[in-house]
Amino acid sequence: MQTMPNFPPPDESMKSREPGDDVAGLPAGTEQSDLELVRRAQRNERGAFDLLVLKYQHKVVKLVARLLRDPAEAEDVAQEAFIKAYRALGSFRGDSAFYTWLYRIAVNTARNTIASRQRRPLDYEAELSESEQNNVTARLQHTDTPEATVLSEEIRLTVNQAIEQLPEDLRTAIVLREIEGLSYEEIAAAMDCPVGTVRSRIFRAREAIDRALKPLLD
Amino acid sequence: MTEQIREQLSALLDGELPRDEMGLLMRRLDRDTDLRRAFGSYALIGETLRAPGGRIASQSFAARVSAAINDAPDGTESASADQVAMSLPAARNVAFWKRPMVRTALAASAAAVAVMLFRPDAEPIAQNVPASLETYAMTASPTPAHSQRLASYMVAHSQYSTPMVRRNVLSSLLAADSGITRVSYEMGQAP
Repeated sequence: MQTMPNFPPPDESMKSREPGDDVAGLPAGTEQSDLELVRRAQRNERGAFDLLVLKYQHKVVKLVARLLRDPAEAEDVAQEAFIKAYRALGSFRGDSAFYTWLYRIAVNTARNTIASRQRRPLDYEAELSESEQNNVTARLQHTDTPEATVLSEEIRLTVNQAIEQLPEDLRTAIVLREIEGLSYEEIAAAMDCPVGTVRSRIFRAREAIDRALKPLLD
Repeated sequence: MTEQIREQLSALLDGELPRDEMGLLMRRLDRDTDLRRAFGSYALIGETLRAPGGRIASQSFAARVSAAINDAPDGTESASADQVAMSLPAARNVAFWKRPMVRTALAASAAAVAVMLFRPDAEPIAQNVPASLETYAMTASPTPAHSQRLASYMVAHSQYSTPMVRRNVLSSLLAADSGITRVSYEMGQAP
């Protein structure tokens, strides 16, 4: 496995977790599921890679934004990282978890961006025309987004409120899964119910939260 | 979209979907944008619960990544070679001629040429060549000096061949020329 000097500390979501968690910051079962999606993507099932993007887009954008300290570039750099991952997918052998591999690509891509940013001449604005300067200013104002922060906070509040309103069995199931990282089998043992019931409860909890989120995201 | 399919989707996100249910679901996902949206939303819920705050991807992000990949399926744009190389295992960066199979083939070819040129029991090449080449053919006869050169050649190129190829070629040479036996023995004794 490739080593990386000065590897930045993982974000909060990647700290070690409680039982059932065999991948940093990810719930149980995720690694095997990701590997299956990777295998399918390696067989040119593009939909499988799209699912991996959907699954990890927020995690990667959040990571890159934190490294760059510039929300304006975060999505572009995250996009570049996903494209690189797609192109290098043939070399992924499953020695590490998919997200660990993707995390490294994202960190490398962010570092390259920072390095190229440092190589840019500092007085480049002096060479811009007035209209170009206006565009730059407008872009900076537009992309330095308090809106993104507000949206993120709204999503957090909505999710928390939706969870509070769930029936207790659904709330327990989704919390044990998403926050505690337990597998369905572990949750079934903890809640003394069949695995199929756990699967159904987690799904219904997600549906309820999704309905609450939809107006925010549409 | 039935509830059953969305429940499968939820289980897929958790890595709890049986493999035999996966194929059909994947095919549905390929043509159902709402199903993909739901998958993204489920992932966002989990991410928000585990690590609230921070920037999240915009709604169009995944679609833009997908479009960018479709626009450049041959991998010729966007990332520089250096950047991609940083995330690739070393094996992908090995030059063609350094790959094991190619190395073996090259070494075997070189050894075969060497054996043909320096074969001790061969008929004099000079019989069938023009006079201008006669001098060369005469010098190709097996002398201790040639044997030593050949042994040195084999040793120098042994890094490009597999142990089996080396053993086979050397065995045949050793059997044919006692001079090489002596040279190899001396090399084996060297500190």
